[in-house]
Formats: sequence, structure tokens, C-alpha cells
Amino acid sequence: MDKPGCGVEVRRKMGYNGALIVLEVKETCLQEATRPTIASDAQGEKLYMLGNEAIARGAIEAGVQVAAAYPGTPSSEILETLAEVAGELGIYAEWSVNEKVAFEVALAASICGLRALASMKHVGVNVAHDSLMTASYMGAKGGLVLVAADDPWMWSSQNEQDSRYVAEQAYVPVLEPSSVQEAKDMMASAFGLSEQFGQVFMFRSVTRIGHGRSDVVLGEISRTRREASFEKNPARMVYTPAVARKNKPLMLERFARIRHAVNELPFNQLRLAAGAKLGVVASGLSYAYVVEALNVLDLNDRISMLKIGTPHPLPAKLVSQLLLSVEEVLVVEELEPFVETHIKALAQESGITLKVHGKDMIPLIGELSTRAVIEAIGKLANRPIPTSFAVADKLAQDVAGMIPLRPPALCPGCPHRASNYVIKIASKRVARDYGDGVEPIYPSDIGCYTLANNPPLESVDSVICMGGSFGIANGLAHVLKAPIVAHLGDSTFFHSGIPPLINAVYNKARITMLVLDNSATAMTGFQPHPGTGNTATGEITDAVKIEDVARACGVKFVEVADPFDLKMAIEVLEKAMRFDGPAVVVMRSPCVIVLQREKKKKGEAIVPYRVLRVLEDRCNEKCNTCVALLGCPAILKQDGKKVIDASMCPGCGLCSRVCPYKAIVQE
Amino acid sequence: MSKGKECSIVIAGVGGQGVVLLSELLGVAAVADGLKVHGSEVLGMAVRGGSVSSIVRIGDSISAPLVTTGMCDVLVSMEPSEALRYVSCLSSPSLAIISMEVVTPFMVTLGKCSYPSPEQIVEKLVGAAGKVVALDAVALARRAGSHLAANIVMLGALLATDAVPVKITTVRAEIERHFSAKLVPVNLKAFDLGYQEASAKMG
Repeated sequence: MDKPGCGVEVRRKMGYNGALIVLEVKETCLQEATRPTIASDAQGEKLYMLGNEAIARGAIEAGVQVAAAYPGTPSSEILETLAEVAGELGIYAEWSVNEKVAFEVALAASICGLRALASMKHVGVNVAHDSLMTASYMGAKGGLVLVAADDPWMWSSQNEQDSRYVAEQAYVPVLEPSSVQEAKDMMASAFGLSEQFGQVFMFRSVTRIGHGRSDVVLGEISRTRREASFEKNPARMVYTPAVARKNKPLMLERFARIRHAVNELPFNQLRLAAGAKLGVVASGLSYAYVVEALNVLDLNDRISMLKIGTPHPLPAKLVSQLLLSVEEVLVVEELEPFVETHIKALAQESGITLKVHGKDMIPLIGELSTRAVIEAIGKLANRPIPTSFAVADKLAQDVAGMIPLRPPALCPGCPHRASNYVIKIASKRVARDYGDGVEPIYPSDIGCYTLANNPPLESVDSVICMGGSFGIANGLAHVLKAPIVAHLGDSTFFHSGIPPLINAVYNKARITMLVLDNSATAMTGFQPHPGTGNTATGEITDAVKIEDVARACGVKFVEVADPFDLKMAIEVLEKAMRFDGPAVVVMRSPCVIVLQREKKKKGEAIVPYRVLRVLEDRCNEKCNTCVALLGCPAILKQDGKKVIDASMCPGCGLCSRVCPYKAIVQE
Repeated sequence: MSKGKECSIVIAGVGGQGVVLLSELLGVAAVADGLKVHGSEVLGMAVRGGSVSSIVRIGDSISAPLVTTGMCDVLVSMEPSEALRYVSCLSSPSLAIISMEVVTPFMVTLGKCSYPSPEQIVEKLVGAAGKVVALDAVALARRAGSHLAANIVMLGALLATDAVPVKITTVRAEIERHFSAKLVPVNLKAFDLGYQEASAKMG
């Protein structure tokens, strides 16, 4: 008898020429083997997936052959997922040095006829923006999809940004899913659409899609693998002004065809309710909140509804049908009034006069919620708002003052804590040379070390964008008489730290640039980068050395220090700051999480530190040095006495080095 | 046991306590039981010892990844003060299950703010939710064999409620599937201890 879940499991690897190589065939009856994985055919089966895995799965189903990305929350798991199955499925996957290069890698594959994707967070789209603007003129041969992961409420970002505007500026059509399932389905369709219209498509995700989880019904995997070929065609490929002038009209024609076609796409759905006075338009994930809001308000059959899956270009025919059938419209969307503005324009063009609501009732900042939608629709439809909202608000207000602050912190054992301690000690000493009351200034950057912003370190004076620390430092050096000590991480250095470093040499900016090299892109999940010596798919490669780059760029003072060797590191940094010219110090010590994982793998012990007790111990109750200088979460106070939580302490020993009573020793 | 058809669960805690794994095991078990699930978590910044929360919503008519104000069925908190952060999702039909072991924020150690007393926290939660179950998940986890299994203790406690429409056998099977053979007995014991403790407390 056939047992459910029994079958034959075939492990295949796709050769670079597209041929299937069978690695292993085994009969399986184990429960473990029956659950499909991201790379299983398993059409019609259900899998509980992270949204970013679903996005990767959609690309796999479409037969994506090239994927490139730079890590950034909430997008990183897309490339991670693809890299894991790249060998098995014949996909080339890479962590690129930055988003611009990632997009160009994908664009090149598309030019050669392969299906390709580049994924990045919203601010990464800014980095790729330059290439995107002209890639749009060039169009796509193989399906080309740029995944932009927006982050409403800035859970892990320096700003809120609506990537749909970038797409609009580039005449790039946008797909925006309303659920994790639709994210998978849309990605599976996106590459075909891109080829059908010969245009790059943007797939706009948001945090609650990419980091949402849901049951997803899998589709068929395309195992077709194309042969890449480069066709020399300067009239299409070489963007001189003359070529650009010829190609812009062609690009506009492609966009006009897309504008027409989106009315028929299944991702846009119009449901007109008989006699409805109010119409609601919801773009992407907002649709999920609207559906629930209508349920709560019991208005399902009384309101007309347009679900938008292509905010750019809008399905104008469906929009007009809705506008003509109702007296008032509410546009529900996260972040900016993108759809709202376009609908207002469409109404004006079609000579339809009606009130279009949007950001006058729906928050412009942060994530949407079912509640925000209930309140807006309830007001327009004259429905009572659940009284539980006011009760809950009162409760929240009541406890607000009781909740202790718990911002994210540098991990116990983090080398950035040591580096920032070193920065503070050395820079304060050097600042005295500049005169009384002169404060050193610390431009910082995007990465874990931003957390040194918190007390007690507070050695972060500015953070704007990747590489911005060195850029800001350049400018400060020319307008201020104070020591300027900028720091960024290793991955950020490769991403966009090198041009401002060269600028400092060229324009004689007397700044100290620290690269806090922990050998990982730690904040986003420890992805490898050009300095680590291995690739996204685990291959060994040449590691690019930061100090070599700095020297090659013409920096005359370049030193490497171990931040846990406090005396030496402070000395090196003081020397760097007193150097007459731009100076680079690489603070090199691996990320403690990576280090602990490696120790565990090798079976080595993690030895925590502990505090000795008074009398037989040396810890002075009145002394607070370790707490006040370091802010390590593993150091706690119990009745005024300091204790180290052994379950948290990885044994870096930094506290033992700053303790004036030598009260902290290794167990 | 009568099981509700739909359920919205908020799981709160501190980075490193296993909030994401707890919600993943619950979600994957629900899907194995043929139920529809919408969940959400915040990764990235929040894992560095900061506040972490995860949402699991089970049921056919659910479409949104977030729980609306006052409409959470069960709040599971791995840490007492963290439960207070989500008080606005509670209302009188809600249940709150709280692990009482405090994780002191470094801002409290630094003297930048204070930590409320456990009694105060429970009192506020009793005022917000219909029912509050307070237990010491870390102690129970230690009894099971490892303090790291406190999240699985809380999963057991969650399954002891009538609210969650997922079969206990399915969750246990997911625990067996997830952990290495060496860790399965500890985690199953942790699950059972959480289940028994919460069952006893709810009467």
C-alpha cells in the first residue's frame, strides 16, 4: 500500500550548461523527508514560509538563473535562500559589494537572455538608482526583477522610503503583493511579464511581507536553463546622448503597453457592490487590513473594493469603473500617497468629480493596522468604532510610564564595545591638544556599531547612510577645529567607504577613519563580504584586505589593532589622530557571535568572567566603573554589587581590564 | 476539549529568549494540521538584546499579519515587563501567559530607568486581560534539563489553553522534528511541564 509521503527523492545539480546531473536517488518513507523544501518540486503542496523565502521560491519557480544582492533588513533572506539551493538548481547567486553592483550583475544576465533578480532594502534602491534609470531605457531580454524591500516604521532602517516613486521616475512597473502567498505567485509571474514587455520590473515588498510567515501553496518549478549570449547592439546598449534620444520613446511605448495590460492582470481585482456609495482602493498589503476591517464593521457587501497589485502603472480602466460607480473613494496604502495622487489625476483626466480620500484619513507615517482602516472606513460609512479601542488606549497610557527602556544593545563580548571605548579614551586625550573644552566628533555609520549611540558609550554623533561617516568627516575637517574620528564596519567600508577615503587623501582632510573589522556583515545576519574570503555559496575566494586598500588609496598612516588589547589600541589611535594627514586604523576582532559559533563547532569551551566578592573579594560597592564605562548587558547589579550573568558572558575580558580593583577574573 | 476556530497570538520577549522559534514551531504545527496561518516578526535591530515580538494568527478569515488593538486572544510573554508593552492588544476575553523571570535591561543597570515590581506588572495585566497565568518558565525548563528550553515551556503552557486550535500531538511532533535527537527529550519534557503547570493554574 502506498503510504502518504513515501516516494523517491532525487538530488540533482544543474550543470552550468543546463544539463541535469543526478547526485543521489533514494527511496524515502521518513516523515522528515516528506516535507517539501524550498527547492522541491512539490507542486500543490503547502509549506509554512517566511515571506522572503516565498519571494525566493517564486523566483525559483520562474527559473531564475542569476541572483545578486547586498544584505539589508528586511530583504536579506531572499538571497540567503537562493544561495543555499544555488548549486542544486543551477543558479548563480552572489553577495555583491553593494546594491548598484548587484543590480548591474542581474542586468548583465538579463542582457544575455537569462532570468535574473537583484534584491535590496529600500535605501539600497538609492544606491542602484543610477543604473536603474538607464537600464529602463535598455529594457530587459531575460526577465529582470528588482526586489525593493520597504520598511514602514523604520524597524531596521534610517528612514521610511517609498520605492514606488523611484520606479515611477524610471518608468519601471511595480508589483506589490497583499500576502505571503501572493508574494510567491507574483514573483513567479514577474519574470515572464518582464520578458513579455521587455522591461525591468520592480517587486515592492514591505517588512510585514518579507518577515511575515504564512502557509504557501507551491507551484511548479521551471527547470529550463538558457544558454547566455551577448548580442552586440550599440544602438540599444551604448548610452550616448544620440542612443538615449532614440531609446526613450521606445521605453515610453513599452510602458504604454504595460499600462494597458495591467487591467487584465489577476493581481488587480475590482468588486463592485450593488448600490455602494463608498469605494475603497487598497494597494499591496493594505488590502489585508481592509479585508479584516470590512469584516469587523460588517460592511462586506456594501462597499465597492479595488485591490491593487500594480500601483505603477495603475489599472486605469478598473479605477475608472470604480470612480464612476461610487460617490466617494478611500485609498488605503502604506507610506506615501502614491496611488492616491495617481487616482486623483485619473479622476481629473476622466472628468469625474468625486471626493478622493487617502492620507487625510490614513496615517502617513509607519505601518498600517486594521484599526487605522476601521477608523477611516467607519467614519466615512457612519459605522460605530469598537469601544475596545478606547479602553485599550487607556490601559496602554496607564502602563506607559512603568515599562523599562530596552533598546537593542551591543552583545556581551562585542568587539565594537572595546573599539568605541578605545575611541573615547584616545580621542579625549588628543582633544586636549586642540584647546580647552574642545570635544572630539564621531561620525558613525550603518551597522551594529550604531548601537554605541546608547549610554554609556555615546560615541556616535551622526548616522545617515552607508559610507556617510567618512563623507561627513571629510566635510567636518574643512570647517571645524576639532578631532574628527569616523568609524564604519568592514562590509560598509567595501560598500561605500572607499570613495570618501580617497576624497580625504585628495582633498587633504585631516581625519581619522576607523574600520571596525569584525569579519562579517553582522547586523543583517553574518553574511560574508569581500574581506571574509568566502562567497555567498560557500566558495573560498581571495580576501580583500582593508589595510591594503587604504594604503593603495594613498593613506600614509595605516595601522591594524586588536581593540581588546586596550593599551596598544589606544596608543595606535592616539598616533593616528596626531598624524598630519588622513589616517586609517583597522580595529580587527571577529564578531562574538561568529566566534562563539566557531568555538562550539570545534568543541572549545566558552569561559565566562565573574566578579569576586567583597573582603575575600575586591569589588567595591561604591565603584561603578565597569557598568558606567561599558554598558555590557551581562554585568548586572544586585543590591549594589556587581555580578556577571555567566549565561550571557562570552569571556571577552574587557570588564576585567577596566576594573580599577582587579576584582574581575576568569573562572 | 473544545478548540476555538480562530486565534490571534502575540509572543513577546527579549532578543535571545527564543521568541521566533516558539512562534515558528506553533505556526508550522498549525499548517501541518491543515490550518491557515498569518504571522509576522521583526528581525534585524530587535534581536540585539532588545524587545522582540512575534505574531501567529490562525484561522480562515484572517488576512492581516498584525493583531488589532484589543483583539489578541493570547499574549505569551517570556519576560514580565515585556508583557506590558503589548497591553493594548488585550481586552477582557484575552488570556495572558507570563514567564516571571526578569531579564534586567542594561538601561536599568545604568540607572536610566527603573523596573516595576512583579506584583505591579501582574496587577496591570489582570486589569487588562480576562485571565492571567504567571509561571516560572525558566525554573521549569531547568527541571526539564536546560534553562534554554523556557520558550518550549511557554509553548506547552500556550497549548494548555482552549484558545489554540492546534493538536498537541502535532506540536510535539514538530518539536521532535526540529531538535537534534539529543535535545528532543529535554524539549518534550519542557513542553509537558509547561502544559501541566498552565493547566493546573487555569483549573
